[in-house]
Amino acid sequence: MSHLELGLWSFPILLGMIFLRIPIGLAMLMVGFFGTWLVTGSWIPILAQMKSLTYDTFSNYSLSIVPLFLLMGQFATRGGMSQALFKAAETWLGHRKGGVAMAAVGACAGFGAICGSSLATAATMGQVALPELRRYGYSGALATGCLAAGGTLGILIPPSVVLVIYAILTEQNIIKLFMAAMVPGVLAALGYMLTIAVYVRLKPGSAGLRERAGYGERFTAIVAVWPVLVIFAVVIGGIYLGWFTPTEGAAVGAAGTGLVALFNGGLSWRGLGEAITGTAISTGMIFFIVLGAAVYNGFLAFSQLPQEAANTVASMGVSPWLVLLVILLCYLVFGCVMDSLSMILLTIPIFFPIVSVLDFGLPAEEMALWFGVIVLIVVEVGLITPPVGMNLFVINSMAPDVPLTRTYGGALPFVLSDIIRVAILILFPTITLGLVRLLY
Amino acid sequence: MAGGAVLIVVLSLTVISIIGRALIFAGLGPIPGDFELVEAGTAFAVLSFLPLCQFHRGHVTVDLFLARAGRRPNAMIDVVANLLMTGAAGVITWRLFLGLLDKRSYGETTFILQFPVWWSYTAALLGAAVFTLVCAYTVWRSLGDVREAAQR
Repeated sequence: MSHLELGLWSFPILLGMIFLRIPIGLAMLMVGFFGTWLVTGSWIPILAQMKSLTYDTFSNYSLSIVPLFLLMGQFATRGGMSQALFKAAETWLGHRKGGVAMAAVGACAGFGAICGSSLATAATMGQVALPELRRYGYSGALATGCLAAGGTLGILIPPSVVLVIYAILTEQNIIKLFMAAMVPGVLAALGYMLTIAVYVRLKPGSAGLRERAGYGERFTAIVAVWPVLVIFAVVIGGIYLGWFTPTEGAAVGAAGTGLVALFNGGLSWRGLGEAITGTAISTGMIFFIVLGAAVYNGFLAFSQLPQEAANTVASMGVSPWLVLLVILLCYLVFGCVMDSLSMILLTIPIFFPIVSVLDFGLPAEEMALWFGVIVLIVVEVGLITPPVGMNLFVINSMAPDVPLTRTYGGALPFVLSDIIRVAILILFPTITLGLVRLLY
Repeated sequence: MAGGAVLIVVLSLTVISIIGRALIFAGLGPIPGDFELVEAGTAFAVLSFLPLCQFHRGHVTVDLFLARAGRRPNAMIDVVANLLMTGAAGVITWRLFLGLLDKRSYGETTFILQFPVWWSYTAALLGAAVFTLVCAYTVWRSLGDVREAAQR
């Protein structure tokens, strides 16, 4: 078998293992390990590589940002900031048609600014917003759907763990990627609110009304969210202005969020222990996948599949937009069954070289930023589509009276809104790149 | 737990270093070689998180086709997955140990602080060894699950 064929065969084998419920990181590690043996025809290269690969991967300075952002998210979920955010959004938006649901989305967006994980955002805001939504007579479908969708803002609005991984894989500037994701993130929140506005008009009776809050109450509520604003501004602004590296920024953010949680009284010794255990488990999970992906990508490089695939696609002469469309469709399909991080680690080493040789009329760096943001959004759609939409499961488990099929239905309009937004972002790269161009 | 403590130390160290750097005019300075400590600390922390993740069944799996297959087949797959994981952990530990020997024989040190790289390899090896042991334990645990599923 030629090297290329080995590379191609590795996909079905890998997917087969993953569908047999072998942990994704382990599957990648094993396929990469035995694949390298087959391609090089000897055990020596892979065994020599394994001597330093584990330590080098785990001690990578850029990757050390991941546990710190995770810890920041853990503190944020315990810090009482979710209540303050929801309260503020509710006093401003709550009296509109579907306003409480809009407030939930807005609060998710705010929470996303200090938390880099979708699941944590959905779970934390769900606890706060779900009882309120039900109290004001919102239907089970809308209440769970909007929270599941709102949760995906957690990863789109910086800081974002998946964007960090993408930046490392494609050797892009992390802070530029964060800036590129900012406007699409805000657009996503507005798009979801618009979806809610349309939904409650098409389906009368799916939402109740909340009394209008006075301006005094509104401003008190807005003032209460200052810690979130300060932390976000210091972390993102500080990294942008060169005060500190992204890793240091994450450390500052985690420390700041931890202090706020401490003063709000939400962080006892037990809470601290739980926060660290939670961080540890997620970190172990992520880094094991990263290690597996490193071994697997080493094998792919040996097989020369990524370059060959890129050359083949380039010489086919099909429209770059068609190729992009096919890639995004792949993500949509895989997103239904796989989590976003594994998908990025698995596919970017193949897809990125392919996209790099195509001409979208953008400079190489801008293309990388634009592609990253679009892929992130498409991958996140997978979190709110059946059959395996983690956000849907998380929110649904909090509302025992709502059947899962209702939650699926409730999320559909938001999936539609996502797809429309992706189309807009593809047609107008300036929306994504404008802020980056302005600042650099 | 030790890994968690190291993560907190890494965090505090970084924050202190930044404060130090911000106060250079006041005669303070950043902690020298802070990023080397961050790297070594993270490597140890991550490797000590792996056993915890394995113990709490924290690894990502795709639970789509086998969700309705019943308890017994699923428990058996767990046994296989945990066996494979033990093998992988064993290989990782073994190679890490040889890597450690390499680094020690070259006498490689870090750039700024000049501490030998094999020190941090040793710390990492400790985590990897515990990871292997915990993997082996989870094999035994999942075997118990199979037996339990068979009895029902």
